Amino acid sequence: MSDTWTLYGATFNSRLLIGSALYPSPQVMSDAIAASGAEIITVGLRRQSPEEAGGQSLWTHIQKLNKTLLPNTAGCHSVKEAVTLAQMSREMFETDWIKLEVIGDDYNLQPDPIATVEAAEKLTGLGFKVFPYCTDDLVICQRLRDVGCEVLMPWGSPIGTGRGLMNPYNLQTIRERIPDMPLIVDAGIGKPSHAVMALELGYDGILLNTAVAQANEPVRMAEAFRHALLAGRSACLAGAMPERQTASPSTPTLGMPFWHQS
Amino acid sequence: MADFASAPQSIGVAGGGLMGRLMAWQLLRRGHRVTVFDAGPASGEQSAAFVAAAMLAPYSEAVTSGAELFAMSRNALAGWKALLQQLGENSAHPVQLNDAGSVVVAHELDRANLSHFSRKLRAAVGDDGNVQSLDRAGIEALEPELPHSFRQGLWLAGEGCLDNRALLVALHDAIVAGGGVWQPNCPVQSVVAGEIQTAQAIEKFDWVLDCRGLGSKPDWPEVRGVRGEILWVEAPEVKLSRPVRLMHPRYHLYITPKPGNLYVVGATEIESESQTPVTVRSELELLSALYSVHSGFAEAHIVNSFARCRPALTNNLPQIRVRDGLIQINGLYRHGYLLAPTVLESALGAFEGQQELAFVTELASFACRAGSHG
Repeated sequence: MSDTWTLYGATFNSRLLIGSALYPSPQVMSDAIAASGAEIITVGLRRQSPEEAGGQSLWTHIQKLNKTLLPNTAGCHSVKEAVTLAQMSREMFETDWIKLEVIGDDYNLQPDPIATVEAAEKLTGLGFKVFPYCTDDLVICQRLRDVGCEVLMPWGSPIGTGRGLMNPYNLQTIRERIPDMPLIVDAGIGKPSHAVMALELGYDGILLNTAVAQANEPVRMAEAFRHALLAGRSACLAGAMPERQTASPSTPTLGMPFWHQS
Repeated sequence: MADFASAPQSIGVAGGGLMGRLMAWQLLRRGHRVTVFDAGPASGEQSAAFVAAAMLAPYSEAVTSGAELFAMSRNALAGWKALLQQLGENSAHPVQLNDAGSVVVAHELDRANLSHFSRKLRAAVGDDGNVQSLDRAGIEALEPELPHSFRQGLWLAGEGCLDNRALLVALHDAIVAGGGVWQPNCPVQSVVAGEIQTAQAIEKFDWVLDCRGLGSKPDWPEVRGVRGEILWVEAPEVKLSRPVRLMHPRYHLYITPKPGNLYVVGATEIESESQTPVTVRSELELLSALYSVHSGFAEAHIVNSFARCRPALTNNLPQIRVRDGLIQINGLYRHGYLLAPTVLESALGAFEGQQELAFVTELASFACRAGSHG
């Protein structure tokens, strides 16, 4: 059964977007990405002297994997930095896709929501297809939509924490109020069960890096996430039973003496 | 084969970093004629080997690089002790080796990083008596000057560090004293079997060893550079007896004591081949980490800062490619000193025609070697 999804006009089977940093080696990265089934890979440029193509060796290695690349602006702290880096990335990777990340707090890498909206507006104006990383705030998400983003990527929890979905209520609210746009949980995913939860909530995909790259066995963890995404998506399509306050027996209690029924 | 190994050969070594020097010295000891070509001065300043902290840390490195690296490096300290004893026969220049283990600590906010480190360490090395958890008292007993805010840590006995600048000098001395020819400031443009091409000439040898690290990239395209930035500070107020690692969400930060109140602080790890000077951000991160480990570093002098590229291959492990007339050694990555004894033994073994050696790949033309040189 085909169950594809579409991001800026491009269609994908896998609901996992995976990062290319923090692996023990480029070889492990390639193996883990293959095992994850991901079709989209994020790439960071900021610290690699992009002006002199310092990271060319690794980028060539990543390009050989033949996946869709999503360059990011990780490490940028201002609108100007993010826009400049996006333009460099567009040239380097020949794509107008950009994962927009403008950091507001350096310690937990929390996005700056105000600068993110401003940068998203500039970038869409420049013809970029923006994938904004943002906090789980409905109004920020709406603003990002209003400035032309066709995908939204609220966090589950701060980058690299692996704490999962800290505020499922907020994420659910965004899903309910913005029903027609692809939504991706970006950041904070630590375990496959977190990914399952995100898809059960109706999110279309997840983006992660550390959970796989820093596992004891990255390749095996990548495979676990592949299964989790399938499980979560099927659960979402299948429609889960509602939760109830008390247990309701699945066999009739008709034959039970009334003094045993409280 | 036996004839080959015992007959003196003329050998050209391209690259006078750590592996080039070790190989040249050992081959001279075996009676061969050796010429070393290096792009930089005799001190080795241009090499990754000069800048490195020269930690011998099989346990800490196993956290990232896993059980395979650990198996190849766990005897690094013993290997270096044997090599330094031999080196003492050929050079009067003393080389210190610190074998007091290392200490791993984390600030309270980064405690999760320490427990992750510890978990991955145990997954890679299993139960090992050299890995011991430390409480506050344990940290104080080993390194009394570390602040009280460090309440948990690890002691990795079986780790240590080398005075690598002294080592590079001693190896150079031993090579020259042993009759080797040293060609400084003479970059090698390319190597093929039996030939080294420099800007001036094509030099012919029985055998060529390519130890140029990132400089080999034109002849070995899979070699990539991984940028590392490192600072040297002189801190008379600080007394640390062994390398200290500080958990940090993004880097493996370490402070390694060297002779003369010098501490080497590093290192960033960036997938870039840029050799431009250290960035402000990296320097800020390294220095703030340094200061947070010991307030005595506040008045330390920053005597040097370097950015160099570690030569790495796709699996971040070394490889020795052997074919007739040419041996290429590369990919020691961040493990140059740690893996040098094993790589040296393998490369020498390959040169002497031994089989089944760690990291060695024999290429097709190798089979006819005995015929052509025997």
